Amino acid sequence: MLVYREKDNLIYKLHPVTVMSYIAVVLLLSLIFSHPVYLLVLFFAVGAVIIASGNADKWKYYLLMASGIVVMIILVNSVFVQNGSTVLFYGPAIPVMGKIKVTLEAVCFSAAMGIRLVVIISVFCLYTYAVHPDKVLKLFSRFGKKAVLVVTLATRLFPLMVQDVRRVTEVQRCRGVKLDTGSLRQRLKNRLPVVKVVLLSSLERSMQIAESMHARGYGSGPRSFYSRDLWRPRDFFVLGALVVSVMTGLAAVFHDWAVFTYYPRLENMNFKELNAALIEMLALSLPAFLNWGWKRWQLLKLKI
Amino acid sequence: MAVIKIKNLTYYYPDIQKPALDNINMEILDGQFVLLAGSSGCGKSSLVRAICGLIPGFYGGTYGGSIIIDHDEVKHMERCELVKNVGMVFQDPESQLVMTCVEEELAFGLENMGLPNNLMKRRIMEVSSALGLSGCLHNYIPELSGGQKQKVALASVLVMQPEVLILDEPTSQLDPVAGEEILTLVKRLNEENGITVILVEQRLERCFHLADRVLVMEKGCIACDDIPQETARWAVRNESSFIPPLAKLFAGVNASSIPLTVKQGKQILIPYTHFPEIKRKKAPGKKQRKIQGKSLVDVHNLWFSYSNGKEVLKNINLKINPGDFTVIMGENAAGKSTFLKNINGLLKPGRGQVRVSGWDTKKVSVEELAPVCGYLSQDPNDYLFLDSVEQELSYTLDNLGLPDDGIIDDVMNKLQLTPYAESNPRDLSAGERQRVALASILVAKPELLLLDEPTRGLDYQLKEELGNIMKQLQAEGTAVIIITHDVEFAAEYAENIVLMAEGSIIAQGSKHEMLTGSTFYSPQLSKLFNNIIDGVVTLEQGKEALVKLMDSGENAVSG
Repeated sequence: MLVYREKDNLIYKLHPVTVMSYIAVVLLLSLIFSHPVYLLVLFFAVGAVIIASGNADKWKYYLLMASGIVVMIILVNSVFVQNGSTVLFYGPAIPVMGKIKVTLEAVCFSAAMGIRLVVIISVFCLYTYAVHPDKVLKLFSRFGKKAVLVVTLATRLFPLMVQDVRRVTEVQRCRGVKLDTGSLRQRLKNRLPVVKVVLLSSLERSMQIAESMHARGYGSGPRSFYSRDLWRPRDFFVLGALVVSVMTGLAAVFHDWAVFTYYPRLENMNFKELNAALIEMLALSLPAFLNWGWKRWQLLKLKI
Repeated sequence: MAVIKIKNLTYYYPDIQKPALDNINMEILDGQFVLLAGSSGCGKSSLVRAICGLIPGFYGGTYGGSIIIDHDEVKHMERCELVKNVGMVFQDPESQLVMTCVEEELAFGLENMGLPNNLMKRRIMEVSSALGLSGCLHNYIPELSGGQKQKVALASVLVMQPEVLILDEPTSQLDPVAGEEILTLVKRLNEENGITVILVEQRLERCFHLADRVLVMEKGCIACDDIPQETARWAVRNESSFIPPLAKLFAGVNASSIPLTVKQGKQILIPYTHFPEIKRKKAPGKKQRKIQGKSLVDVHNLWFSYSNGKEVLKNINLKINPGDFTVIMGENAAGKSTFLKNINGLLKPGRGQVRVSGWDTKKVSVEELAPVCGYLSQDPNDYLFLDSVEQELSYTLDNLGLPDDGIIDDVMNKLQLTPYAESNPRDLSAGERQRVALASILVAKPELLLLDEPTRGLDYQLKEELGNIMKQLQAEGTAVIIITHDVEFAAEYAENIVLMAEGSIIAQGSKHEMLTGSTFYSPQLSKLFNNIIDGVVTLEQGKEALVKLMDSGENAVSG
């Protein structure tokens, strides 16, 4: 089922192009930055926007899931990557690899990659809970009309198929079919009729949907596009901040400020190189700041 | 101005030898409200599909004759032109909505017409506010109720501003309240906007009075085309089922005028109610059966909550004896289906106990209960997946480990399925599919039969057949429990009525107690005789009461 639920805050009142641009920029920067401070900036900025959108409770579950993966990455990377010169401790000898050494560099590198993963997962959390899938599809419908319609139909029909499976399973059980007992092979065999009924019903339903589309003139001529999304000053502020963020990010990568050398030895952190990170933080947190002001000052709400 | 002229229309579906439409000739004037009735497979849907160009455009097949809308022949019209003239709302709301959001759904047809954005906004605003959908424009369609979905389907056609609105059984999948709302909306559109309406409908008691003209189809031909009153007389003369109970009652006793609504019926009866000796006589009702011994179903203090914590059944107590015919009624989400699933073991009671044929449903699985307790869900298609009717029946026997001691032939014979034994069930009509699904349950000779909304989408004739089958099973000692919104069906065939609301049984008793004197849960005939003769529920009782009333009135006048 659709998890998107519109809430009364500024993040939900942004134009879909703005939100999608924000998501794209954070994704891009998370892939080109390797400096842990820059990656942490992305994490805090996205986190601030998710909290501002009122989805902190959902984000918590994403973070829990991500933290498990991060621990795994650190463990695997530290054990299997033998690069790095600062040995923290030596482990036992294992076949092929020899004596295991855990280095500070390997731990730091995997921790930074872990932050990158958490940023990416958080961005998907924001996309799932704060962006209406129809609006995103609508953005792309000008370019791939049929493909977008197929995706929309699949989104529309999926809950129906889930209901069908549930209902048909009940019907089969009432006809004496044992779906939960017997060998795996037997259980799979007993479930085949459920699949068959659902497929047959879905085929009939798709014919009916096609008929309804035909009756409403689908494919009868060139289509136009319906859109009620409005551009407001807030969108231009956020898009402006995103432009600043991308420019700063590219400059930081170009000047190696956002690039960090982990191996063979961790490079020294130059705090002057972190000025760009501060700009990134401010630019990418702007939606959260705007939301904060939007909720507190009626005048700001009226103006943006 | 949309005048539809149909001349010598004949149509054959691809690879079918029998014509679906056989030499149809008729004319529908601008602004008329035409009701199209007839049995399943008689050609109603084919006719309306031909008018909106789906036949032959979508279906192919062989087409003869012509349909002319405003001087243009449908088969020569561009599709984008045709959709501006004729809009069609289909039977199942689930199978006609394309998008996930209401606003996008309304825009879909307009986008296909290539309209500019501003015009689309205006039309969507107008239609959504007229149909009361403004508040849910951004809602996710799968989360809407059935009634709201059908309203969205209607709105998505109306935004295209068609001059002719065709509705193919738009209320068959809806509960009575939602169905009533759709029909009222359609009537309003017809009266206030002058839109020509062609309505295909099975529940004639809901819409007979709305129509200016009723067409009855039989075997691809138009058998009757007249005003509703005359159609009622024709139906009685020709023993046709396609007539609502009220009109059938008066036409059946050759009354001089045929009422279409209860109000009109009461006005006709007013002169007869002035005689004090007639007033408030009690109609003869059947005596309640007295049952000795143990109950087949014993529900004691049943409470049930779903895993999300929602409490759906609260303190239910009910006893069902062998040979009982009980109908459970109540609004949507009253817990009726959940109750049925607690009886057949699909759901287990949270508190309390359900015993079926002595088995505690908590301690046995659904599969173990299946030979005792047959269950027919709302959609018969859920049962059909094998290549022949006979295989469907033997599938149940194989699963339950029961022998075929001639029961397959017996059941097929009883449900008139023998000619279709080798046919693919999915190729059969709606009524036949339902009989196959029912047969696949009955081969296990269950002592208890549970049916969830079995009359949904069935025409009068099929309902009559279903009712008679249930009566026959009841006479053989099978206990029948049916969930239905169909008061007329319950009045005609049931014995006991259970009324549920908010997860509790709020009243139960014989149909004569339960279906009389109620404002909404009463059949048309009960409403008609309310405060005149008490206890009238079935058509037979109604006829008896009306004849007596008229005779007494005449005797009083002559005396």
